[in-house]
Amino acid sequence: MRRHSRRIFNVCYRFVGNRTEAEDISQEVFLRVYRTLGSYRSAHGGFATWMTSVTRNLLIDHYRRTKRDRQTDSLDDAMPVVENKESAGRRPDQLALVNELGGQVQSALTRLSPELREAVILRDLQQLEYAEIQQVLAVPEGTVKSRINRGRIELAKILQQMGVRPS
Amino acid sequence: MTWTCDQIEAQLSDYLEGLLQAQDRAAFEAHVETCPECAPLLASVRSLISELQSMEEVEAPPRLVYSILDKTLGPRETVTGWQAFRKFLVGLASPKFAYGAASVMATLIILLSASGISLRKPKLADLHPANVYRNVDRQAHLGYAHFVRSVSDWRVVYEIQSRLRQDQNDLQVAPEENAPKSEPDKRDDHTHVQPKQQNRANELARQVELLAAQCPVVLGRSYR
Repeated sequence: MRRHSRRIFNVCYRFVGNRTEAEDISQEVFLRVYRTLGSYRSAHGGFATWMTSVTRNLLIDHYRRTKRDRQTDSLDDAMPVVENKESAGRRPDQLALVNELGGQVQSALTRLSPELREAVILRDLQQLEYAEIQQVLAVPEGTVKSRINRGRIELAKILQQMGVRPS
Repeated sequence: MTWTCDQIEAQLSDYLEGLLQAQDRAAFEAHVETCPECAPLLASVRSLISELQSMEEVEAPPRLVYSILDKTLGPRETVTGWQAFRKFLVGLASPKFAYGAASVMATLIILLSASGISLRKPKLADLHPANVYRNVDRQAHLGYAHFVRSVSDWRVVYEIQSRLRQDQNDLQVAPEENAPKSEPDKRDDHTHVQPKQQNRANELARQVELLAAQCPVVLGRSYR
């Protein structure tokens, strides 16, 4: 439960870029999973993949619902990120640099179109296989590869525009 | 074959993930080496992937799990005052608690007995560390002595049993060997005993008495 909630929260946070919204959507995901558990079939892939699929659908719903209200993305909107891995071994200046870069990449992610964003998140942040992403997004493998490739190129260009060069 | 910049962009991820064939890979690299636009693009996408894959997971809020449980299973009941006390008392009456309490009591009794503290006449002095140590030491020595004596007694008992078994076998084998030769019609006459067999039986009885005398614990010390 804790492991799944953390993973789902991360997918949501990387997609929406806001902790409060990510928390709300994570709760919605579990509620949806709880209600539709009967419709889960192992033939459709693993349980984690199915949960990711439910998460993706709710994220797209959320994106469409908030489209009107959304302002143009700004770096100032980036919430401070609590990093937990290897943080203890880094000097404060290194940690600040990592967090800053992470925040900028996160900000750049939210500027991507939702189709490219979800593909990049699933592949490079969640490190899913192409076949799993294909199941989650319900599109052919060629489309998955194309979206991931375009998403990476777009993201690199956005970061360049922002004056950020990942090392 | 020379690749265009569009082709390079389209195959960028496949190249970085090592999915291109050798020929395509060579063409890709040949273009990138000479193209002023594709070379920095390749470098920035490569470092971007590395950065994305090393990005640390965001810590979920601790309350998230409880919020999810509340949403799915309903809010938890919070009882206070007398209701909470009654719930506590009901919990005490549960079999799980009773088994746990009984196990703890049994363990305590075993430990107290082993440390030589009398449960019938408890004294405050028994709890003094020196007395506890002395009692434990005494109990350990007594236990060890009792164990050694028991082992010794049982060894004697087994020796008696094995000798009895051996002599019974000798007594059964002897008539079978003699009977068919001389007097086949008197084979079942148990009242008639050969002198040799009588001597063996007497000797056996003496040995049993001797061994029983060495075994005071098992045979109730009646042979002393």
